[in-house]
Amino acid sequence: MTNPIILLRGQEVPNIHQYDVYVQHGGYQGLKKALGMSPDEVINEVKNSGLRGRGGAGFPAGVKWSFIPKNEPVKYVTVNADESETGTFKDRLIMETNPHQLIEGALICAYAIQAKAVYIYLRGEFWDVAHQLDQCIEDARKDGWVGKNIGGGNFSCEVYTHLGAGAYICGEESALLNSLEGKLGQPRVRPPFPAQKGGGLYGEPTVVNNVETIANVPWIMVNGAAEYKKIGTEQSAGTKLYCVSGHVKKPGVYELPFTATFRELLYDICGGPSVEGRNFKALLPSGGSGPIVHLNDQVLDTRMSYEDTAKIGTIIGSASLIVMDDSVDITWVASKVTKFFKHESCGKCTPCREGTYWLDKVIDRILAGEGRPEDVKLIENVAKNMAGITLCALGEFAANPIIHTIKNFPDDFNQHVAKKAETKPVPAKKLAAAGD
Amino acid sequence: MVKIVIDGKDYEVPAGANLVDAAKNAAGNDIPVFCYHPKMEPVGMCRMCIVELGMEEIDRETKQPVLDDKGQPKVRWMPKLQTACTQKVTPGMHVRTATKLVEDARQNVIEFLLTSHPLDCPICDKGGECPLQNLTMAHGPGGSRMVFNDKLKLDKHVPLGDLIYLDEERCIQCARCVRFQDEIVGDDVLAFHERGRSLQIITNSDPGFDTYFSGNTTDICPVGALTTADFRFGARPWELTEVPSICPHDAAGSNISLSTRLDRDAGGKAVIKRVMPRQNEYVNEIWISDKTRFGHHFTRSEDRLLHPMLRRGDTLAPTTWKDVFARVAGDLKAAGSDVAVIAGGAITNEDLWELKQLAAGLGSERLGTWTPTYGGADLVAKVGVGKGTNLKDLGKGDAVLVIASDLEEEVPMWRLRLKQAQDRGAYLVVANARHTRLEDFATQKERNGKPVSGATIRYNVGEAAHVMHELKTRYPEIAEKLAGATNLVIVAGAEGLTLDGSKALMQAAANFLISSGHVGKANNGLMSPLPGANGMGLHYMGFTPENTQHIMANPPKVLIVAQAEPGEDDPTAAAWLSKVETVITLSLFPDKTTHYATYALPIQSFAERDGTFVNGERRVQRFYTAQGPMGEALPAWKIVAGMREALGQAKPKVSAAAVMLEISNKVPAFAGCTYKDLAKVEKQFPDVGGADLYYGGTAYDNKGGLGVQIATSADAGETPAVADVTLPAVPKAKDGELLLLPTTRLYNRSHVFKPSVLVHPRVLLPYVELNEADAHKLGVQPGDVVEIAFGDDTVRVRAGINGTPAGVAVLPRELADKATPFLPTSGTIKKVTEPVLA
Ligand SMILES: Cc1cc2nc3c(=O)[nH]c(=O)nc-3n(C[C@H](O)[C@H](O)[C@H](O)COP(=O)(O)O)c2cc1C
Ligand code: SF4
Ligand code: SF4
Ligand code: FES
Repeated sequence: MTNPIILLRGQEVPNIHQYDVYVQHGGYQGLKKALGMSPDEVINEVKNSGLRGRGGAGFPAGVKWSFIPKNEPVKYVTVNADESETGTFKDRLIMETNPHQLIEGALICAYAIQAKAVYIYLRGEFWDVAHQLDQCIEDARKDGWVGKNIGGGNFSCEVYTHLGAGAYICGEESALLNSLEGKLGQPRVRPPFPAQKGGGLYGEPTVVNNVETIANVPWIMVNGAAEYKKIGTEQSAGTKLYCVSGHVKKPGVYELPFTATFRELLYDICGGPSVEGRNFKALLPSGGSGPIVHLNDQVLDTRMSYEDTAKIGTIIGSASLIVMDDSVDITWVASKVTKFFKHESCGKCTPCREGTYWLDKVIDRILAGEGRPEDVKLIENVAKNMAGITLCALGEFAANPIIHTIKNFPDDFNQHVAKKAETKPVPAKKLAAAGD
Repeated sequence: MVKIVIDGKDYEVPAGANLVDAAKNAAGNDIPVFCYHPKMEPVGMCRMCIVELGMEEIDRETKQPVLDDKGQPKVRWMPKLQTACTQKVTPGMHVRTATKLVEDARQNVIEFLLTSHPLDCPICDKGGECPLQNLTMAHGPGGSRMVFNDKLKLDKHVPLGDLIYLDEERCIQCARCVRFQDEIVGDDVLAFHERGRSLQIITNSDPGFDTYFSGNTTDICPVGALTTADFRFGARPWELTEVPSICPHDAAGSNISLSTRLDRDAGGKAVIKRVMPRQNEYVNEIWISDKTRFGHHFTRSEDRLLHPMLRRGDTLAPTTWKDVFARVAGDLKAAGSDVAVIAGGAITNEDLWELKQLAAGLGSERLGTWTPTYGGADLVAKVGVGKGTNLKDLGKGDAVLVIASDLEEEVPMWRLRLKQAQDRGAYLVVANARHTRLEDFATQKERNGKPVSGATIRYNVGEAAHVMHELKTRYPEIAEKLAGATNLVIVAGAEGLTLDGSKALMQAAANFLISSGHVGKANNGLMSPLPGANGMGLHYMGFTPENTQHIMANPPKVLIVAQAEPGEDDPTAAAWLSKVETVITLSLFPDKTTHYATYALPIQSFAERDGTFVNGERRVQRFYTAQGPMGEALPAWKIVAGMREALGQAKPKVSAAAVMLEISNKVPAFAGCTYKDLAKVEKQFPDVGGADLYYGGTAYDNKGGLGVQIATSADAGETPAVADVTLPAVPKAKDGELLLLPTTRLYNRSHVFKPSVLVHPRVLLPYVELNEADAHKLGVQPGDVVEIAFGDDTVRVRAGINGTPAGVAVLPRELADKATPFLPTSGTIKKVTEPVLA
């Protein structure tokens, strides 16, 4: 059986990004169908489909929608197109090639929760994508799919795009809402959650969903929840866009059902290691923020679903596979990733603001061959002290790579500090005197 | 109340309370915090308040707690530690604050914080009263594992404005300062810039940190990142002696603590090194305005009058007190009962009492207030805000009307607290003839994400009483909302009014309150921004503005001018002061009034003596002696007592306390106001001061007394009656002239503020504000120098064009180097080229 294509459907159609072409190929039929149902029926359909959030956490989308209080007069939908996770480049593909799919999906969501407006929040670098989306919104408006009395009924909803100013943290939903409101992009204290009164955009209940999550919705409406649920695994319904980068022959974005294994993707599709004679060493399945694993047979034979990746001690997250062969020093990876998080920490809470800086300093020292034997324990401990007490998950993301690189690749670290111990033994007395 | 369990013990705490507050109040459990502040919304930034949190499991069917095998409720503990400051208590909440897990997490947060902290405690102004120091001692690790030499190098002397400096290295990014400005003040002039470890406080106003409340951020900053230009590097906290005092500048009566030290520069005498807020939740909570904080330098000004002076021809020459008393007694005897007193608003009750006794002994009741502009203090005594009033209690369902006052400039503390009342849901109406800062709040529909309600009324200059009297017909909707409010407070000033106008406004406001039933109970009634710290004291001691008008029109043989500066304030002073045979001034400074004096007698400022003031909410408050006397100055009451002794009236009392004892026996309003009564304190929330400064900041806990609020006659059960309002003639400009509208500026060139040199850059040059059309007619551009003529006088100021009503020129008082009108006056304006200030 050929793999079902949901998110990349229409890619082969020339100019599918144009409204007319999209409509010729069944566009806006999902929205039309939804408008013929009650909002609750739409929510139930999405719930029954088993669609989970593709932004990283995998929260069931329909359940999230059902949290929106019915009696509040003002509600919003916010599409998270900040796409800043290291190694993630899937949302952009959807928006570049098949943008109407996203607009249609967002409007279905808006109808389901009876939102007044949809905001598509894009990372600042996506200005060209935003321009295209703006055009699409205007085209769809001409046919009555956007604005007042959508589809001739009494549901009205505006769609806006908004460009961020280049911060990873603005992909975190509450920081995104702050940024959208024109405030400093820092996460908010939760509860209240975005879906609750007081927690969303301008304090109003708000659904925040990833681009890919929303792009699934038109298909689900047209083909039904049952069809969707047939694809994928028990707990991970549907297909996923996998972003592959690193040491494979054919990096790129691939759509596969959740039943696919890492081996199928990395060997059968991506063609295996990019350099002859080298072997796969390690994999970051979810960009820099998820736990790193040995890219061994056990991992290769694991299905790339939420539940299966959990069993091997990692996550599929936003499915940003960064593949590393045996030429890579994992200490260097830890350093790179740490620099990223240090640069992106918003600075709002103490452990992340200070911890990322501290980690970076010590890893630099280790990489420079100046590390002391206890430095490895030190950074592991610093990372553990950060994890679990930060305000938002970025702190956790920053701690993860350290904890897991050391846990899974201890030798890579020890070789550096061992070198130091061999070449330049420092007398204990001098150490104490220097306070270093 | 709900039951929660902290470290295994049960406590009853108010439902919905913040967990940090609840633990502190109910259990005496100090959960350490840096970013949380009990007066502000939690933000969960520092992560210091981390605790273990659990909830009792509830059976879905029976709604009863699920019990374990020991019959105890089963607790489901959260997998991660939680920040206590972001939790509201709920029934069945379980908290562990003393486990290894919690202690470790606290230690970790401190360790993280210290990785970028300069640890320059030895040269830090906060050292000794620093939350970071204290919490590090209590919870921190013994040493740091962050051992890099290039820790963090940032700017250590960033002026955020003229008054506050930022040390970027010390900042721990808790946002208390930003939130204070946003949430409490409503002047959102601070912000964070950048992100991560580059996150820094910046000011986004021009001039920098443009607000009247900036100093408070230095109190709540949990480190020495924010310091005042006044105190920075001035002294170490442990060298300071704290003396309870009261702000002498306005009707709020903010409770303060004067931090004093014996100073070499002052010849070894105790001097004020800084002014700090002293907690009084009824009055100023834990805040003070920048004028209160930085306006103390006059007490040690070199320009003070230091010796008793006697006129010899054109000059004043020093003499002895003995000589003064003997001579004055002679003059007074010769004058018989043709004696009068004019007293200013910042004089104490003790002084007023002695003055009143002196006059009474001579058969005179001619006791006047300076300036004679604010009427209706008698109505504040009748239907003022009821006993037990706390503006902090105003909120949803309540209403506030501020009319004919620019509260931001007149009583900033009231403006702060009324703005917060609006935040809590009170309906705020601002009525004036021109735009004021408070109006900005009244017109907002939403603030910090919460809806707020208010309205504004604009009327023609001088028509405040008309509007108030006819509110129901002119503004039925607003009137209805005010009348229908659960609690209603009216603050009525005198801007743009004659004395008759002010009296009429006060009566109309009183009538409104009486007829809508908003009198005789807490949080209801009338307030007035009477000038000075003791406007109500003047009233209770029998001093009235009507008497002053009479004195000005019929100058007596002997006039005692007590802590008042008619020569500075009144362009017509020469006309009437020169008709007085003997002027005796009790003065802080030699000034344009002492020009007319036969005797210019130096009095001690509030800092050098003890005494009492009655604030605008009629709270009698006591202040204590803080610093050594200047020259031969004496407390005014002692000088007057010396005169009385020389007259054979009475022997001087031994102390201010003894004077107050007599007052409390003789003046019914002051019954129960002995110094002992005034010194009483009670536990207040939040708990500030002492070791708790990590929690509320460095505001001092109140050891000097909360004061006693005088009951209104309505409180006392008298049924106040509505009285007729005689609507006065509205002040008008003569044909072809403009109406000069005197207004108040908080920062001015008065004698008691000028010596605070550090605030000078913030004191505006003398100016007049014109309407666009008027300016056009006069050929005046913004910034032009103009000469204003009124009566026989002229003053040169700079012109601004700022949307004032047509035909009106706003001319703030006490900015120019000479007297400008204190009542609306007709005048002419022409463009000139000379400079503004000599
Ligand atoms: C630091 C941080 C960065 C994030 N960045 C993104 C992002 O770039 N795009 C995204 O869709 N979700 C991102 N998320 C997840 C969002 O907070 C949120 O969970 C998601 O948008 C919800 O949508 P979903 O349920 O459709 O996945 C981020 C979360 C964190 C903590
Ligand atoms: S964990 Fe990092 S990114 Fe998240 S709030 Fe704290 S400092 Fe900001
Ligand atoms: S300056 Fe002080 S109050 Fe402001 S954020 Fe920094 S530490 Fe907090
Ligand atoms: S996070 Fe609770 S006090 Fe800072």
